Amino acid sequence: MMDAPAIEARGLFKSFGAAPVLRGIDLAIAPGRALMIIGRNGAGKSTLLRLLAGLGAPNDGEVRLFGTPSRKLEAADRRRLGMLTHQSFLYPNLTARENLEFYCALYRVADSAAAIGRWLERVGLARFAAERVRAFSRGMEQRLALARALIHRPDALLMDEPFAALDPDGAELAATLIREALARGCAVALTAHRAFDLDAGRCTARELVRGRLLDAPANAASAERAEYPPAHPGVGAR
Amino acid sequence: MAGFVAVLRKDLTLELRGGESTLALVALSILILIVMVFALNPAGGAADAPIAAGALWVAMIFAGMAGAARTVLAERDNGCLRALYLSPLDRGAIFLAKLAAASIFMVVAEAAVVLMLVLFFNLDFDLRLVRMLPALALGLIGFAALATLLAAISGRVHAGDLLMPLLAVPMYVPALIAGVKASAAALGGAQWSAMGQWLRIMIAFDVLFVAAGFILFEHLLGED
Repeated sequence: MMDAPAIEARGLFKSFGAAPVLRGIDLAIAPGRALMIIGRNGAGKSTLLRLLAGLGAPNDGEVRLFGTPSRKLEAADRRRLGMLTHQSFLYPNLTARENLEFYCALYRVADSAAAIGRWLERVGLARFAAERVRAFSRGMEQRLALARALIHRPDALLMDEPFAALDPDGAELAATLIREALARGCAVALTAHRAFDLDAGRCTARELVRGRLLDAPANAASAERAEYPPAHPGVGAR
Repeated sequence: MAGFVAVLRKDLTLELRGGESTLALVALSILILIVMVFALNPAGGAADAPIAAGALWVAMIFAGMAGAARTVLAERDNGCLRALYLSPLDRGAIFLAKLAAASIFMVVAEAAVVLMLVLFFNLDFDLRLVRMLPALALGLIGFAALATLLAAISGRVHAGDLLMPLLAVPMYVPALIAGVKASAAALGGAQWSAMGQWLRIMIAFDVLFVAAGFILFEHLLGED
């Protein structure tokens, strides 16, 4: 029997003014499964992820995280959610380590010093731990944002174009981290411009077109892997 | 409590590193005080107590508008306000941490202003200054609460940055009048009992806006 979905949306409608952005989105993501939402610029991918996180309110429909309406999550369930967006959620005038220390304190991460050391090493920023984020390149900031989103081991992960601004090694690292999260039972919703091979056994791709989620992405077959992680996990990782 | 401490510590670290808010608060406060002194030309002595109190509170309000809301506005960088909203931290605790940080910044500015006030108005470091402290503390907490609340609202409305100058002073008027009256009484050498009614108004104002911020902050952090 399939697990109850960790991320669920039913009949989601959202418009800005008279312009409808999302028109009746239904989705359900079980623990250990990923949904890749593919779409062009302006298709509504970021809006959909914001609604899934409870950051915005839909005009109609409902979003549930861990069975609870996303806008009414208790602290215990908010602790189980991780999010990566175009905005890094990082403080430019804090160092990489201080940023992670802050989020560890908010999420009450046990043995945070060890976790921070491990994650800085993992995302290749151990050498830059004492550097302020404002001195980071966009790619370094995205790597640190990955660590920030994952350091508390979330059970549900919402990722808006997680490979944006990353070089090929960084993109492979991000893919590896997502695969690891899936393997430990995390439910993942992520967006991308084009389909790519993340984990065929666990990941479903759907395309967001004119506000509706279509089952088969039209451009899946033409995925350009040069810009996305290679099909074989482990190649070029770290 | 741990989350409150984390947010407050982070805000203080950022301020110590950047220093924009407190420096702006101190500089603006002193500038306003200097202008007031030249405009009013105080002769010195107890007769100037109402003038000194008025100058002090004008300096505090205008400087507060420039700096007290920064702890919230700074969270807009890189979407950090969203991160706080998504975090397990109680949203009321976020408000209290922001209020505490803004209050600390204002205390620093206020200390500089009081020092300047003593110099410019030829006051003595005596019990009269001590009697003024409760009014200053209550006024500062009330203004920091109001500014933090308005800063959170400003993120949700069109042209929200205009909210602070347009609304802060009118909304603060009850506490402002009470603060000026209480400070003037203290500087004029009045006893505690003469300040009681004004301090009670300020306490009511503080309770109202701290409670409003604590309750409403959750709704103000969310988006439409």
